[in-house]
Amino acid sequence: MPRPLEKLVSLTIDGNEVQAPEGMMLADAALKYGDVEIPVFCYDAKIGPPVGACRMCLVEIEGIPKMQAGCSVAVTDGMVVHTNTPTVKAAQEAVLEFILINHPLDCPVCDKGGECPLQDNAFGWGGGLSRFIEPKRHFEKPLALSPLIAIDRERCILCYRCVRFSQEVSEDDQLVLEERGADTFVTTFDAHPYVAPFSGNITELCPVGALTSRPYRFRARPWDIEQAGSVCTLCPAQCNVSFSVRDERVLRVMARDHEGVDDGWLCDKGRFAYQAIHVDERITEPMMRDGGELRPVTWDLAIESAAKLLSHAGANTGALVGGETTNEEGVLLTHLMRETLGSNDLDSRPGGALELELLRALNAPTLQASVPDLQYAHAVLVLDCEPVDDAPVLDLRLRKGVRHHGVKLLIGSSRPSALDQRAALSTRFAPGCGEAFAAALGAELAGQSSASLAAAAGADPDDVVALVAQLRDAGEEVVILWGERLTAGPRRNEGARALLNLADQLGLDGQDGGGLLEIPSGTNSRGLREVGVLPNASIGLADAATAGRDSQQIGEALAAGDLSAVILLHSDPLLDQPSSALWQRALGKASAVIAHAAFLTPAVREHANIVFPAESYAEKEGTVVHPDSRVQRLRRSIARQGETRAEWALLAELAAKIGNDPKALTCSMVSARIFEQVPFYAGLSLDLIGGVGVRWSEREAAASFPAAPAAPFALDAPPVAASPNGLLRLGSFRSIWASPEVEASPALAFLHPRQRVEMSAADAERLGISHGENVTVASNGDSVEGLAHIRASAPDGTVFLQTSIPGESAALLEGPLVEVKRA
Amino acid sequence: MAWDPEKDVIEVIRGPKEAGGAGGLYRAFGETLRGLKTTFGQLRMGVDTIQYPEEKIPVYPRFRGRHQLHRFEDSGLEKCVGCSLCAAACPSDCIRVVAAENTPEHRVSAGERYAAVYEINLSRCIFCGYCEVACPFDAITMGHDFELSDANRSDLIFTKEMLLAEPIERTPLRAEGE
Ligand code: SF4
Ligand code: SF4
Ligand code: SF4
Ligand code: SF4
Ligand code: FES
Repeated sequence: MPRPLEKLVSLTIDGNEVQAPEGMMLADAALKYGDVEIPVFCYDAKIGPPVGACRMCLVEIEGIPKMQAGCSVAVTDGMVVHTNTPTVKAAQEAVLEFILINHPLDCPVCDKGGECPLQDNAFGWGGGLSRFIEPKRHFEKPLALSPLIAIDRERCILCYRCVRFSQEVSEDDQLVLEERGADTFVTTFDAHPYVAPFSGNITELCPVGALTSRPYRFRARPWDIEQAGSVCTLCPAQCNVSFSVRDERVLRVMARDHEGVDDGWLCDKGRFAYQAIHVDERITEPMMRDGGELRPVTWDLAIESAAKLLSHAGANTGALVGGETTNEEGVLLTHLMRETLGSNDLDSRPGGALELELLRALNAPTLQASVPDLQYAHAVLVLDCEPVDDAPVLDLRLRKGVRHHGVKLLIGSSRPSALDQRAALSTRFAPGCGEAFAAALGAELAGQSSASLAAAAGADPDDVVALVAQLRDAGEEVVILWGERLTAGPRRNEGARALLNLADQLGLDGQDGGGLLEIPSGTNSRGLREVGVLPNASIGLADAATAGRDSQQIGEALAAGDLSAVILLHSDPLLDQPSSALWQRALGKASAVIAHAAFLTPAVREHANIVFPAESYAEKEGTVVHPDSRVQRLRRSIARQGETRAEWALLAELAAKIGNDPKALTCSMVSARIFEQVPFYAGLSLDLIGGVGVRWSEREAAASFPAAPAAPFALDAPPVAASPNGLLRLGSFRSIWASPEVEASPALAFLHPRQRVEMSAADAERLGISHGENVTVASNGDSVEGLAHIRASAPDGTVFLQTSIPGESAALLEGPLVEVKRA
Repeated sequence: MAWDPEKDVIEVIRGPKEAGGAGGLYRAFGETLRGLKTTFGQLRMGVDTIQYPEEKIPVYPRFRGRHQLHRFEDSGLEKCVGCSLCAAACPSDCIRVVAAENTPEHRVSAGERYAAVYEINLSRCIFCGYCEVACPFDAITMGHDFELSDANRSDLIFTKEMLLAEPIERTPLRAEGE
């Protein structure tokens, strides 16, 4: 459903004429446009429609005999509202007195103290005295609702916020209210731990100290901390966060509501993985390999040695750049590689380069959908990605669109999606066959027969027909949310062409409210491509003077001895690249491996000669680009821990030592250079980006985006999906919890995944495997162990394993078919 | 315009232009004698010097000296729950509280939380007593000790152990009606 048109109505609030958009709730309109605060407890626009549970917001409206709940009445033209009459005052005092009947006097020991809406409302609108001397209700004091959340049921004021979040926002349906009246309390079914990807949000939503974060428990008071706004770089969703900092330590992460990015929510990784900044496992000093073991060394020695190794290797150096790299670091790395060492072998895309023309076509500004489009489009097609794993917070946005705005959600993926139940139609295809599936959709849309393509994709041809029918009927505003997976692998260019043809068939180019939205593999993948951290492009997606090797070829060249050194900038090829075997050989052969890393992940631990400590995202400054083209700014929030140094400065110093000083004195100097050199960023500045970011594709300068070939492209017939023949197809996915930060965070460690082997009940029965059993998955002599996980929705004939888990990653196996047996 | 040095000469008057006669004589001796009268008049009051530090002036009961933290007399638990309200109230920002959670095995205070760190930087404290007023549990009070000089600034950061310890009784308290 398209965005509602905004129509202004005028109403009178406390004698003042106020203009507000029609349909807005009175409490919001009064605060935003009338500068009048109507106290609320249970209402928060971001949870959805009001429920009117607490009655804190009573106001008088002329013409209506009884007082009305300001949170539940939409503004209308000519409405006359009074918020401070004696009647209203008496009602507010009565409601607060009523709420406080059973509320304990816990403020000194309560973690909400100082930032508590109940304190604020009682202070601002309460009567100051209570007439109740009766004993209060009692519950057992804090219980663990989950390993992350403590619940103190005595403090709950039964506002329903948490329950509504669980049932209507994250839709995990875990929280419920039990019992009735004063005995009511929040719990889960059978008091199971509330473990869900977004559970932490309820600690921020609860207007009292009933639900509090356990990692933050008793850490600080609001006046002990400073809030530092920045961006979470743990996944491509790039949520806007605010760090609570005390004594140069991040103690908590909270959402910094941004409608265009995160809608005010965070996933639990973003909320709790800050702990990894302050753990002992983190690398905070430079290290060098000495006698087979990494030992701390001085900065001077490390830089000196790295410069020596690199100048020795010269043009025989390759570089892999991970998604957490900022644009500034990316640009300085290209300076180090291209201008200083004379090597073009650098890449930020795992699995191989895409033709530059296609990359431009996919990133063309007229084709980009924004995050809010997901919520207002007629239809959203989720293609070959799983939002909750790949960019968690987008999952909530899709749910919101379906629930509140009638978005038609269509899913085409190989692995069952968490969104399946909300989808109008959900189809499966064989892992790695996104290209064929997109081609089938395109063909069907063009009125050709899609049956053979659907068969090649391993999809049900009827599903393809039905999905296209849905797409056709939905309306013109269609967003395709696609995963980088579709354009990775050996047939990545064909995948991109099929996707572009599909977008063309749907008329998405220049479509307002529709378009393509990629979920890339790395946080700042988009920015890194745009500043030229690609083998075949230079800054601004211009043609590279000489094309270099892509990540796959770098690995092969290292293994073959054509390259001798490799820089791993926030990248661990054993975790990120599709083939672990190749990279084991490559790194084993490389004579110099220089890593910038925060943790001793496998490649760093086993192969790095020199390790530079990587800054954490709270220590970094620079810019990153959101997948929907929003340029955002990271700000330094805490002092760098240990001996960590600014990485942009380190990259500049390395280049200077080798003999080509990039003359970068500050990070903002580098940013300014980027804004100058990327034609479509022209006119941007750090001030302009500010705290909310700027979508470059919406600015005038976007017109200077390099021209790209127009669809339709000629497609060749995609290969046919391997048929299982007694074996199983191998599909892989990266879990939201598979990251070194999650592993290192004490509070989240319980979520760090072990390998699990997802398969359908039929396959499991055929192979005699039961749920939870240890199984081995083998191909070509390599094998991975994991726990069998039987999933009712899993398609027959396919087994899914996770990547990015040290030592047991799916990348150790070579598809397309694998053998699964009991261990 | 050229500068004319003559114009800047200022006449300095250092006393009466002429000798003063009788008036001058009075000014020279009369006023001096009047002052001396007061001086000698005080002689009968006796000596009032207090031989500090051997001798001390007793302080009033509400005198605001060095802080004390308190324990419950019966259970021995600390009264402070580490709520940080004193730190919020302190105008010179000299209190630092880091709270932690009580466990059944390790119970320090009566509430859920306790102050794992409680420090007052007495070199910054202005002895206003706001912390005492802010405390919901009467855990911190202002004592009577005012002899706080030290040779080292960092020694003036009083830790929880120092504040909890029985204060050295070195300041006499003024008795009722004194
Ligand atoms: S929820 Fe608020 S009012 Fe209630 S005890 Fe905690 S701080 Fe005090
Ligand atoms: S626990 Fe908090 S959010 Fe949930 S109903 Fe109670 S007061 Fe509301
Ligand atoms: S969704 Fe991604 S960006 Fe947002 S909080 Fe989670 S990890 Fe961070
Ligand atoms: S007496 Fe005043 S200045 Fe000293 S610690 Fe207490 S509140 Fe702070
Ligand atoms: S805020 Fe309106 S009823 Fe709760």
